[in-house]
Amino acid sequence: MSKTFKIFKSNFSPLLWIRQNSGDIVSYLGLVLCISVFSVTSGGRLWSPYNIGLILESTSVYAMIALGAMFIYSMGYMDVSVGPQLGVYAIIMILIINATGSLLLGFAVILVIALIAGFMNGYVAVWLGVPSIVTSLFLMFIFSGVQILLMERTGVNTISANFNFEAFLRPEVIFTVLAVEILIVGYLFNYTKLGKYVKAIGANEVTASHCGVNTTFWKVVAYLAFGFTVALGAVFLLARTGSAGKGTGSGYAMDIMLALILGGMPLSGGMTSRLRSAVTGAFTYVLLSNGLTLSGVDVTVIHMIKAVIFVGVTLLTCRKKYGVLPR
Amino acid sequence: MENKSLLKINNMYKWFDATQALKGVDLEIQGGQIHGLIGENGSGKSTITSIIAGVKMPTEGRMFFKGQPWEPSSMASAFDCGVSMILQEANTIPGCTVAENLYAGHISKFRKYGFLDSRKMVRKASEKLADFGVSHIDAAGLVDQYGFEDRKVVEIVRSLSSSTELLIIDETTTALSHEGRKMLYSIMHKMKEEGKAVIFISHDIDEIIEHCTNLTVLRDGEITGHLSYEDLQKDDAIERIRFLMVGRDIGDAYYREDYDSSHEEEIALEFKDVSVSGVKNFNLQLHKGEIIGFGGLSGSGMHEIGRAAFGLEKLASGKVIRNEQIIKSPHDAIRGSIGYISKDRDVEALILSGDVRDNIALPSLDGLSRFSFIHPSKEKELVEAEIESLNIKCYSGKQLVGTLSGGNKQKVSFAKWTANDSDVIVMDCPTRGVDVGVKQSMYAFIAEMKKQGKAVLMISEELPELIGMSDRIFIMKDDKVQKIFERHPDLKESDLIEYMI
Repeated sequence: MSKTFKIFKSNFSPLLWIRQNSGDIVSYLGLVLCISVFSVTSGGRLWSPYNIGLILESTSVYAMIALGAMFIYSMGYMDVSVGPQLGVYAIIMILIINATGSLLLGFAVILVIALIAGFMNGYVAVWLGVPSIVTSLFLMFIFSGVQILLMERTGVNTISANFNFEAFLRPEVIFTVLAVEILIVGYLFNYTKLGKYVKAIGANEVTASHCGVNTTFWKVVAYLAFGFTVALGAVFLLARTGSAGKGTGSGYAMDIMLALILGGMPLSGGMTSRLRSAVTGAFTYVLLSNGLTLSGVDVTVIHMIKAVIFVGVTLLTCRKKYGVLPR
Repeated sequence: MENKSLLKINNMYKWFDATQALKGVDLEIQGGQIHGLIGENGSGKSTITSIIAGVKMPTEGRMFFKGQPWEPSSMASAFDCGVSMILQEANTIPGCTVAENLYAGHISKFRKYGFLDSRKMVRKASEKLADFGVSHIDAAGLVDQYGFEDRKVVEIVRSLSSSTELLIIDETTTALSHEGRKMLYSIMHKMKEEGKAVIFISHDIDEIIEHCTNLTVLRDGEITGHLSYEDLQKDDAIERIRFLMVGRDIGDAYYREDYDSSHEEEIALEFKDVSVSGVKNFNLQLHKGEIIGFGGLSGSGMHEIGRAAFGLEKLASGKVIRNEQIIKSPHDAIRGSIGYISKDRDVEALILSGDVRDNIALPSLDGLSRFSFIHPSKEKELVEAEIESLNIKCYSGKQLVGTLSGGNKQKVSFAKWTANDSDVIVMDCPTRGVDVGVKQSMYAFIAEMKKQGKAVLMISEELPELIGMSDRIFIMKDDKVQKIFERHPDLKESDLIEYMI
């Protein structure tokens, strides 16, 4: 190959920089664009204190889970079981709270289940030699089944928790929890073996294992980390609604995926995975729904508009950044 | 032999972003020529040929093919007009049969009532393979079942048709087995006899001198010299070519100069009764400060031994031992300070979408980390030191490895293990597709490793480097060690070949 880059720091090329960071740039532009367009079209309602609170609440759950999902998506895997998992966790927490009055016990129980689910997602796929999407689908069906079973047992359509979740809805609490999570995940993702290894596995699993990375072990660790964030997200989801039913959590798996894509996360994972995708993506995603509704767009066409925006963003961010160069 | 001009390039320039790859190149290819192109990695050889073959567009300059302006829009259209190219990288389509690969892009020829007549295609493909004397490849079989070398043969057969007038061979011979090379050479000479032309890119100067009718040398996107057939046959041809390529006299020091094959007593790596794939009950003791070379054809079992040394193969019996530890996985191997340079660089050794820093640091992260925390500046320091000591040409540690030239990629592959300060290094074809300048520095590097008491297992298909570097050479054939040679100034290639084939 005759293409030697002879670019030194002295003649830094802005063009090249833009090209290498196009994904980030587009995702930030998307967020800024959403904010500015909707600020105008919503007639200022976007910035009403009530609406800001609403956006923050719904973004926080997405962002909390998306941050953990980064570990999975960086490896080039995906997870479709999040939705029913959230539903089951919410119901279990309500049942435990109503029986014992302890949220902590409820959280402890679902955390254990979430970690078991994470372990299955990570280890069983490797152990049985099936693609991880298979175990993920398996878990999705199991959790959906459990969710329906649990609700049939209660005999009502929705059950409510006898618990005051007000503290969890205070913006400063949401902000603090999210900030702490960003710090922890950011640290793990950028400064520890876990983060470096999951990116390497996503970029080239053979090379990673040739470099001494025990890929099975780190896959399981990544799924466990994800499981933790799902449990955390479940608490804040429950805090928002205070109740749960058969439909709780449905659609979350796809929402998380869309949020990550809107945030510039390559679906194939790998070295270009950036943590900010989770946060900017979650904000952009929530803003899209919220802003379109506030702007008076008919609910029936919102999905169509989202589809168009989604395809546009994907074209700009998720295409292969560089092809196989002929030599 | 007629001397009509087949292809003419006038004043060609090519820019890639801020990089100038070609600076006003003029070149003329005549019928009946095997025209060699040589130059260091990044000198512009592949850029020229990929422009000729329609893969890329020149930024400036014109080309004429058989007197007509030549502006191919793609490789397929160039192929239809009689210009085809065999690439350096693997270029077969996985998951397809050999026949489908051979006729990729021309499938419509076998259309019958709107369906594909695959039986006819397989028959034609078998005939085509037979024309080239290839009998061991089944046209109906999946291309994936064949090794790298055989897939390359499939590519060669694909790239040729009766209308091919100009064949471009881009560093293909290093990827070929011995038989494959012979086949390719005979194709080249046949084309020459027929008054057609071949552009032949190779890093192997001996190969160029043996087969080319003339040679053009490139450096940094400019032509630095032409050598006629007579020039190539002169005694000083090699020195002259090297000088034109590198732009300075690289001196005589190329391989190891000493003939001191002594080493320390301590065993660095031991194979005990190892059976892996075809190899049975293999024993070996590699000592500290020793370089052991393995030579043979690619199916001889030597690559498997290298993989076994790094814990990549499941052993049928026996064990690989380092410091009294049994090596069962790359994880064990790296913990035992073993490094492995894969021959399949782009697939196994490097993360192309990762930057230089990520790639070099990856095996060292385990040792670098404290409670799993990796200090960014320590990582940077480690990598910068390797970039400097190996002289890796990149604008910074942040450059993506996929955008580096072949030689620099290989240096990154080396640097991974020097960064981790590995005491045993297994290298499988360490200089495959690497130019003279880089080769020289790598040989010096390997010699330095010996002095530092490191143990090296060098597996190579290039006999001169085995002879030049090893303390002992194991020649393998049919999964068995046929003969062991000790380091000696009088050792010749022909002595070794006898036991290989």
